[in-house]
Amino acid sequence: MAELVRLDNLWKVYHVGTTAVPALRGASLGIHQGEYVAIMGPSGSGKSTLLNVLGCLDRPTGGHYWLGDQDVSALTDNELSDVRNERIGFVFQSFNLIQQLTITQNIEVPLFYQGLPRAQRHPRSRQLAQMVGLGDRLHHRPRELSGGQQQRVAIARALANDPLILLADEPTGNLDTATSTEILGLFDDLHQRGCTIIMVTHEEHVAAHTERVIRLRDGRIESDVAKATGARA
Amino acid sequence: MKGLNKAADILGLGLHSLVVHLGRSALTALGIVFAVWSVIAMLAINEGFSYEAQQALRELGSDNIIIGSVKPPNLESSASEQQQGILRYGLLHADVRRLRSNIPNVRRCVTVHRTLKFGYRPGRNLRVNVIETEPTYADVARIQMVNGRFISAADMLRKKAHCVLTESLARRLFPVTDPVGKTIRLANEPFTVIGVLAQLPPALAGEGGEGGANVIVPLTAGRMRFGETSIMFGTGGGTSELVEVHQVILQMADEQAVLYGAKIARHLIARFHEDEDYEIKVPLELIEQQAKQQRLWNIMFLTIASISLVVGGIGIMNIMLASVTERTREIGVRRALGAKRRDIVTQFLVESVTLTTVGGLIGIGIGLLVPSLVEWVLKLRTIVSPATLLLPLGMAIAVGLIAGLYPAFRAARLDPIVALRHE
Repeated sequence: MAELVRLDNLWKVYHVGTTAVPALRGASLGIHQGEYVAIMGPSGSGKSTLLNVLGCLDRPTGGHYWLGDQDVSALTDNELSDVRNERIGFVFQSFNLIQQLTITQNIEVPLFYQGLPRAQRHPRSRQLAQMVGLGDRLHHRPRELSGGQQQRVAIARALANDPLILLADEPTGNLDTATSTEILGLFDDLHQRGCTIIMVTHEEHVAAHTERVIRLRDGRIESDVAKATGARA
Repeated sequence: MKGLNKAADILGLGLHSLVVHLGRSALTALGIVFAVWSVIAMLAINEGFSYEAQQALRELGSDNIIIGSVKPPNLESSASEQQQGILRYGLLHADVRRLRSNIPNVRRCVTVHRTLKFGYRPGRNLRVNVIETEPTYADVARIQMVNGRFISAADMLRKKAHCVLTESLARRLFPVTDPVGKTIRLANEPFTVIGVLAQLPPALAGEGGEGGANVIVPLTAGRMRFGETSIMFGTGGGTSELVEVHQVILQMADEQAVLYGAKIARHLIARFHEDEDYEIKVPLELIEQQAKQQRLWNIMFLTIASISLVVGGIGIMNIMLASVTERTREIGVRRALGAKRRDIVTQFLVESVTLTTVGGLIGIGIGLLVPSLVEWVLKLRTIVSPATLLLPLGMAIAVGLIAGLYPAFRAARLDPIVALRHE
């Protein structure tokens, strides 16, 4: 299968005052279509930076990043916005729903910035809300939902643009164990349907759901282990 | 099409967040509301006032130069004049001759002499202002007859004891009958009423007539019967005044001639009059002055209003900055989900412009009410023209744009990663 994500000797150096702080020191990896990958590592290992670069929120200072067939490592801010808008789905630890908007409106935000007319956005958001099991809460506000439900909305939103990769940043970090299991179950479902998922976590039991674990340390890839069986069994 | 959809949606987004924070939006827009309605009220009152003033001047005739006699304030104390018992001042017949022969492009030159007499009719008696003048007075003062005719050249020549009444005087002397053909007495001299005119321009009518009673007689007839000396009875005896000519009205061929003629007239009269016992009124100049003054007031009002708009704008900017800070996380989320910088700029600009536009529209609403209230309570004329409404609205929109610019760019400049982490 073709590689969907290709990182080639990726560097990211931050400048704090006059000192240069490297967060990524030449990370290289490839991820195939349909893979379910966990990125792990202690704090300061560069996993957030890696996720930001993967999510096109940040540009690498060196190296190349191919997403699909496009080198996205040197795009302008506007072009990166388009890449995020059309090819990437984000799920955050703290859900990051927009409080004034209803559930469907939240799900529609990426479509909104694609310039899709309301008439086309609406059926899509309704369908996604139903898919994550919130078909009866379409016009509620995020505040009126539980944490687990909010994360479901966030996942529906991340899927709205039919992304190439789904990036999840500790998606269960703010949830209790039972709800975490539910949400991880949802990710498992998505994986089975063929979604490519990259998830940052520091919890082993969460990583156990994935089929490949990439460990970072000091900005370098320490280990990259694919489980033959995966967590599906 | 795609862009249009998006634009409409972002507009909706801006409106939406205003509605969500309705109370805050309303309070913020209040400054603009006040600024706009106060501009409208000020402009409307100023315009109304100016219109009235110009109207009064226009009644004098913009093609006229009006030269009048004025009793100089220092005359009473002048000993030599007092000894003769007669106060002499004002324009002379010689002045009129000089004006006539030296000013070019005069279409008509009308002389007026005024006296105050008692007007009698059996059973009625009141003080009237007698205007002794020439037939061309009708054209110069734009007199409209309601009944009969004005004095004619023949009346002048034959010193006929004919008179023309103002409508209000006619109604008082002849409440039921047609006055034309009837006789009234002016200081015991019988005069036949030959016509009734609608109204004299207030600025041309004499003073002292009871209830503004004016009667017009041929200049020659008046001079023959009443002379040029008038005796004023006051407390502690009477004073006599001798004024040869009370008013000369020069009707000029065109505007150019008015301005040029006024210049000559000023020199000509000043040369032969040591005292300031005359005044030269040029309605055209006054109208221009009035217009200039109105512009000046308008500029002043707009300046004051701009200050309040700036204050309102600062309020808007303040609230927009607060809104940007408060919604940093939302901005980060929107950026992560594909919003471009310009989408964020647009969103916040739409918000601030909507805020001031709505404020401006409410201000126009109140601004329309206030002038009618002023008209009703203070009995002042006000004029609300479209420009009076659109100018402050335009200013409000501009303020929204300017006040929103900095917060909007600040929002757009946020690093999405930092914004997402914002608590």
